[in-house]
Parts: sequence; C-alpha cells; structure tokens
Amino acid sequence: MLRFRPAPLRLAVALAVGFVATRVVYRVLFAGAGGSGAVLIDAPVVRLPSPFEHVAMFGPITTGGLTAAALSALPIALVIVAVGVVNALVDVSRLFALGARGGPLAGSARALVIAWATFPALAEAVRRVRLARSLRGERGAGALIVPILEHTIERSIAIAASMEVRGFGARGRAEGDCERPAEVRDAEIGHGGEWSLAMPSLHLGPGSLTVLRGPTGSGKSTVLDALSGRLTHIDEGDAAGLLEVGGLDRLAVPPRETAGFVGVVAQQPRLAFAAETVDDEIGFSLAVRGVAPVIVRARVAEVVERLGIERLLGRDVRTLSAGEATLVAIAAAIVEHPILLLVDEPLADLDPPARAATIGLLGRIAHEAGVAVLVAEHRTAGFVGVADGWLEIVDGRVLPAEPPAGALPAEAPAVAAAVSEACPVAVPAALEQHPPLATVDGLTVRHGGTVAVDRASFELHRGEILVVDGPNGAGKSSLLTAIALGADEGEVRFAAMDATTNGRRARRARRRLVALVPDRSDDLLFADTVAAECRRADRTAGRPRGTTWTRFLELLGAGVPLTADASRPTTATDASALATRHPRDLSTGQRRLLVLAIQAGAGASVLLVDEPTRGLDPSARAMLAAALRGHAERGGAVVVATHDRDFAASVADRRLTMTDGVLGAPRGVGAPS
Amino acid sequence: MRPGSRWSTALLVAGSVVAAGAFAWPLLAPALPADAQAAAPWAALALAPLTALVAVLAVDGAFRSAKTLALLGTLTAVAAAVRVAGTGVGGVEVVFVLLILAGRAFGARFGFLLGVLAIGLSSTITGGFGPWTPFQMFACGWVGAGAGLLPRRVRSGVAEIAMLAAYGVVASYAFGLVMNLWFWPFAIGSGTGISYEPGAPLGRNLASFALYSLTTSTITWDTLRAVTTVAGLAVFGRAALAALRRVRLPHARRVMAKRAE
Repeated sequence: MLRFRPAPLRLAVALAVGFVATRVVYRVLFAGAGGSGAVLIDAPVVRLPSPFEHVAMFGPITTGGLTAAALSALPIALVIVAVGVVNALVDVSRLFALGARGGPLAGSARALVIAWATFPALAEAVRRVRLARSLRGERGAGALIVPILEHTIERSIAIAASMEVRGFGARGRAEGDCERPAEVRDAEIGHGGEWSLAMPSLHLGPGSLTVLRGPTGSGKSTVLDALSGRLTHIDEGDAAGLLEVGGLDRLAVPPRETAGFVGVVAQQPRLAFAAETVDDEIGFSLAVRGVAPVIVRARVAEVVERLGIERLLGRDVRTLSAGEATLVAIAAAIVEHPILLLVDEPLADLDPPARAATIGLLGRIAHEAGVAVLVAEHRTAGFVGVADGWLEIVDGRVLPAEPPAGALPAEAPAVAAAVSEACPVAVPAALEQHPPLATVDGLTVRHGGTVAVDRASFELHRGEILVVDGPNGAGKSSLLTAIALGADEGEVRFAAMDATTNGRRARRARRRLVALVPDRSDDLLFADTVAAECRRADRTAGRPRGTTWTRFLELLGAGVPLTADASRPTTATDASALATRHPRDLSTGQRRLLVLAIQAGAGASVLLVDEPTRGLDPSARAMLAAALRGHAERGGAVVVATHDRDFAASVADRRLTMTDGVLGAPRGVGAPS
Repeated sequence: MRPGSRWSTALLVAGSVVAAGAFAWPLLAPALPADAQAAAPWAALALAPLTALVAVLAVDGAFRSAKTLALLGTLTAVAAAVRVAGTGVGGVEVVFVLLILAGRAFGARFGFLLGVLAIGLSSTITGGFGPWTPFQMFACGWVGAGAGLLPRRVRSGVAEIAMLAAYGVVASYAFGLVMNLWFWPFAIGSGTGISYEPGAPLGRNLASFALYSLTTSTITWDTLRAVTTVAGLAVFGRAALAALRRVRLPHARRVMAKRAE
C-alpha cells in the first residue's frame, strides 16, 4: 500500500505554485502589494466609483508587499503539498474503493474513486490538447477547455467500463457453466432504435477461437459489448432475444458479477488501464474482490510467465508501447482463468512481429487453456490456420463465414520481399529533376535521457509519397512531430521558406509549409459540429470560408468533386446531415479524413501522416490512399509513418525504415546502415 | 417514476427544507421559545452536516450505472481542480459554469450530487474542511439542481444559453446571499451597526443583513461571479453542452422522455 508515486506530488506542487501565483496577482490588482521594502512599481491607487468606492485597485508594488502576499498564501500552499505527499505515498483511491464495494453510499464513493483516478488523466489531457492545438496552428487557452472536457469524459468512461468488466463494485459473483461459454439465438442488439444488428445464431464452444470480421462501423465491437454486458449494462444500449454467457442470462446479470469467467480486452487498452503499474493492472480483478495480496502476486507471476512478459513487471502502465499494452491487457483478462475471452481489434496498434506473436498467443489460450476466444478484427489473414470458426457482419446480420479466400498468413517472408522490391530506396529519377521541397538535416529528438530520433536526414521531393516504416517504438512518431514542430537539434529546410526567418514568424510560416495528422488524430477535433470544425480551420488558416468543407467532401468522394457528380442525387442531403453531426460521432475513417482536410486546408505542401490506417477497413484505406496520392499529385509531398505493410506497398514511392531512432534503408534491401 | 425514485425525491426535498432552515437560522431564531434561542446557532451547525448526509443518501441510490458514475466522477474531478486552482481569486468561480451545464444536461439529481461531491473532493485536496463545508455543499448542490429544473422546452442554441446565463446571474447572487446569511452573526460579532441582534424585530435584522451582505460580497464577489459565469456560459456553453449530451446517460434519457410526455 505504501509506494512512492511521483505524479501526485508533482501535481500538488504545480497546484501550490499556481495558488501562490494567483494570490500574488490578486493582491497586485486590488491594491494589496504595497508595504515595506523597495518600491518596484509606483502605480497610482485607482478608487472605483460608487457603489464600489471601498474597493481600491493597483497602487504601489513593493518587495515587502509581494513577499507578504506570497507568504499569506503559503499555509494553504503547504497544505496542498502535504496532501500531495500523503497522496504520493498512500493510494487514497484504495480507501475510496473500500467504500465503493457496497452500502448506501456506494454510488458517491465510486464517483470519488473515478474522480481520484481522473486527476493524472486531466494533466495528460491538457498535454495532448496543447500539442493538438499547436499542430492546428491555434493559440489561446480558450481552444483548450472543451477538448479537455471531451478527453477526460472519454477516458473516464473507458476506465469505468474496464473496472466494471473486471468485477469492480460487485456484490456477488456468478459462476458460469464451462461447457457453454456463449450462446445467442434470435437476438437483436442496438442503440436506442437508431441502429441495430441481428444475431440469428451464435455458439462459441470451449477451446475454440472464432474471428468476427466486418467493415469499420458495422458493429463488431457492439457484438463483443453485447456478450461482455457492456452494451446493456454500461452503454445503455438495447438487446432482445436469447443472449447467454456461461449459461447465464446476459441481460439479467451485470458484467461485474461475471468478471470471474468473462475476460475482456478493450480496443484501446491504454485508454482503459485502471491501475498504475503492470502488476496492479494484471491483478486488478483479483484485488477488487479481496483476494489476499500474496495470492494475487502468485497468480500475476503465473500468468506473466505463461505470456512471457516477466520483463514488464513493475513498469508504469503509461510507459508501455502499444504491443506491450495489448499483452498486459490480455494478461489482465485471463488472470481469472475465464471461460470466455472477448478481444476487440488486438492487431490494430501492432507491428508485424507483435501481430504474429499475439495471434499465436490467442490461439494457445483457446486451444491449450480451453477458453472460448472471440476476436473482432478486420486484419483477418493472420488468423487463417489458427481460427476454428469465422463470423462476418453482412447487411446488419452476424452470419457464419468462410475463412478469407486465398489469404496467405500475413507475415509470410515472401510478401515482405515482394513489397521491398516494389519500393525503390533511391529517389525515382523523374522526381529528382526539381530541387527538393524540404530537406531534413540531422534531426535529433531526446526524451529525457533516451535518444528517440538520431540525426535523421533525407530529402523530400515534389509529388512523392515517402513511407517510413519500422517496429513500434522506433521513433517514427517523434520524427514526424519534430519535422512539424521543430526539434532539439538539426533543422528542416523548406524550398519556399526564407532561411533567415525565425521565432514566431518562422513558426507561422512552418505551419503553412508542413502539417501533421498525428497518430491520435481525434485529438485535433475541437468543435461540436463538422461544419463548425471546418469553419474554424478556415478561420485559423485565413482561407475563404468553405475551403476545408469542400476538401473534406472531396476526400470522402476519393477525389471526385461531389457537386459535379449528377449520378448521386442524394449527396446534398447526405452532406448537410454530415455537416451538423458531432465530429466524434463520425466513423473512424470519416474522422481521419476530416482531420486530413483540416490539416491540409492550411495549404501546407508537406503533409505528414502518422499511422493513418489504424482502425480503417479496406474501403476506408483505399479512400485514404487516394487522398494522399491526390495531395502528392497536386505538387505536394507526403510522409507516411506506418507499420501497415500492405498500405505502405500500395502508396509508397519510396521507403525508409526506422530502427531504434536511426533512419536507414528498408529491411531486406541492401545492408542496414 | 420508479417507487424508489419517488422516495428519493421526497427525502431530497425534505433534506433541502431542513438545510434551508439551518441557513436561515438568524431569521428563524426569534420564532423559537426564548430558552431555545441561545442554542439556535449550534443547532444550525449540527443540522447542516446531518442533512447533507441525508440528502446524499437520498440521491445516491439513483446512481449505480458505471457510465453515470464515471461521468459524475470525471466532472467532480474537473470541478474540484477548477475550484482548487481558483482558490483565493474570490468570486471567479468557474465551477458554477460546470455545475449549471451538468445540471442542465443530466438533471437535478446529478447536478445536486455533483455540487456536493465537488466541494467534498476539493476540500479534501486543500484541507479546507470546516463548519462551512456542509453549507457550501448544499449551496453548490442547489445551483446544480436548479439548473436541472429549468424548463426543457427551451432547446434552441442561443435561447438555451441565454436562459442558463440568466439563471447563472440569479444563482451567483443567491449563492452569496445564503452563504452570508448563516455566517453573518459569526463573522461580525456584536456591537456594530449591522450586527445580528437576536431579540430585534425581523425587519431590522433584515436591513442589517442586507447592508452586511451588500458590503461583504454582493456588489463585489457575487457580481464578479455572475460576470464570469455569464462569460463562461457564453464562450464555452454551447460546445460544452454538446460534449456532455453526447454521453447518453440512462437516467438523463429518462428525464428527457418524462419531460417530453
């Protein structure tokens, strides 16, 4: 229980400093900074007119006055720091957790648990929104408030769901029938009449791995949510018909009570981590039902050994890479030896080696441990030969399906070699005739003591799409961010930019030359409707109203201007319906294209795109590829960082591989530098 | 309406009435028998935390869905952070903006509990617990609950924000008034022109209180609070409401359905 965590203390010190500073500012404003000591500023006292005549403003500011103002704030500031020290040593949320287990005040106690867990997330949200703001070229604190609110709400709901499916706040513990992991007949699931999905028949037997596929937005996650109980018990969706897990009625038994035999791996595990260390995260479901710490440790050690992730023990969950996070989430989901394991898009964030490892692991969990595993995924090729059953969502129905036809296992060496040959390392001769659009020269990025990007240098030519690939954590994102916002060392020279400009003017000029669509592109969505988002982007970039909106529609139509297309008469209605929607309610593909339109709208010639295909189905990927190609053909250049080899092969004119921060020739072609 | 929900409403209203009595003790004390009058301030101080507990118990049962609790927890954290950051900048209570928007989006009960928990959490952080804490809890809870009781018919963007802003002005001044009222005798003591006199007629005490409240906060902090609340609602109101309403809460949907009938 006693373990020093620096984050709460840092937060407390920041709050205390802020508190003292506001007090001093307040005193200066309201004539409270005078007194003994040297006079710093001898401002006149301004008496307010009636009825505020007893209020004086400004007045002399002295060293003694400022000291007194700061000192008067110290007692409370010290209390804030002291509470921070206690908080850094004692995990107070565990005390709330005791009250949250039951009793008449369980609701308030649970809300306080979540509030407590939200504080670090709040700081994280502020950091991410600030980065997004500078990527969009905006300034001012006003731009931050609503996005921060949205971030924290999204995260808190993810945490609440992950706590719920792991038994947090459960009063009882239901036992499931191992022979009947999941059974669905004549069921219909949906969200408040707006959308529904039919599940005529679904049977998952023990020791089987089933893959559920279907386009983005078709409802793969909703099927998993219906089985985990999240749909009806947390998201307040609707379900009718027979839905059973472990022989129990899913609609009657809440997820927290089936945590002992239903394991869930969320789509974005890093968003849903409820504890702070890997050990606590894996042992969470045991700890919340009061298992003795010594037994929790033993069970965590056992599962960690089974997955071969002993090296991750003791790590802070926030430092995990995407691949590591997926493994930890799987470990946390199987620590209770579940009968049914539900896994949502486990491959989305992973590089090829991690994908192969994860597929193998899921296969072993099904076939060796006898768990019924259901995986929702549209990267299905790798599961051929591992999966026992296939399901597909077709026209709003979940139906049995055949394995994907003609698919090779995704990581077959033959495919990788073919990709490498198709993508020359050298700049194609046709492109070299023009001077480079941008020159990246010795760019170096350090995070603390580690070098994330080590002297990256390359030239970027008009009309080309350059793909930077490499494993998770190689420094691809850091490289793109450095090109967009500047780095510790090295520089990026643009053909169109005067080398002598610097400071704020250089930053503004840079924004017109280079734009980044980051990995978490949703961070860049600030407004409450698509139309407002587009107007805002036009305003920031100083472009005529409608520029971004038109660009967005063009991207959706994959380069075909919608207004000129007479064969699609419903488009105008579709478009106006789209304009009034909340940006975050769009599909993943639409959201990514919207951010692309916003970022390209400022007229930047160099477009940087980080992991653009995450969560996209093949048709959305094709749209995205067309959009990037269109940008290059209009005389721009695109840099794509991705570990999606198929996508890389489909768009790349040229490829570079990044390994441990060093940029070099692609793997399999020539010797690595 | 579920039977449990009816009980909870009755209990919340009863608790609020008793709490209102504790707030107004200086004005109610003359109505008590003479030998009980001396005990009135202490009774008020003791009643406030008890009724706060009863009121929280009353609404707590309505919040069991993980999603509602997640939202309540998050907004409590945001409100507490905002309140702690704004300590000492008297009157600039951005927390009112949040209470009003959350009460409007998710209903009176949610607004009430958010106000209570925000005060509870921020007091835990700053160590600012004291006799005033339950009074602050009720006052903030009422601000949130009041926003949840405003007419649902007003839905169009500008009209809704205008209504919330008008409510924000009323709530800002009312908050100052009720917080001054119970504290007034403790703050000034006796012997000044505006001191509380237990035996004096109601009219005279009211006049003294009006003067005390006017000089203490009404024309300064409360005005500032009203201005910042209106400004906050005008600048962030629409987008923040949209952000909150995207989270479909079970009980908020029930509120909507009920009002629509």
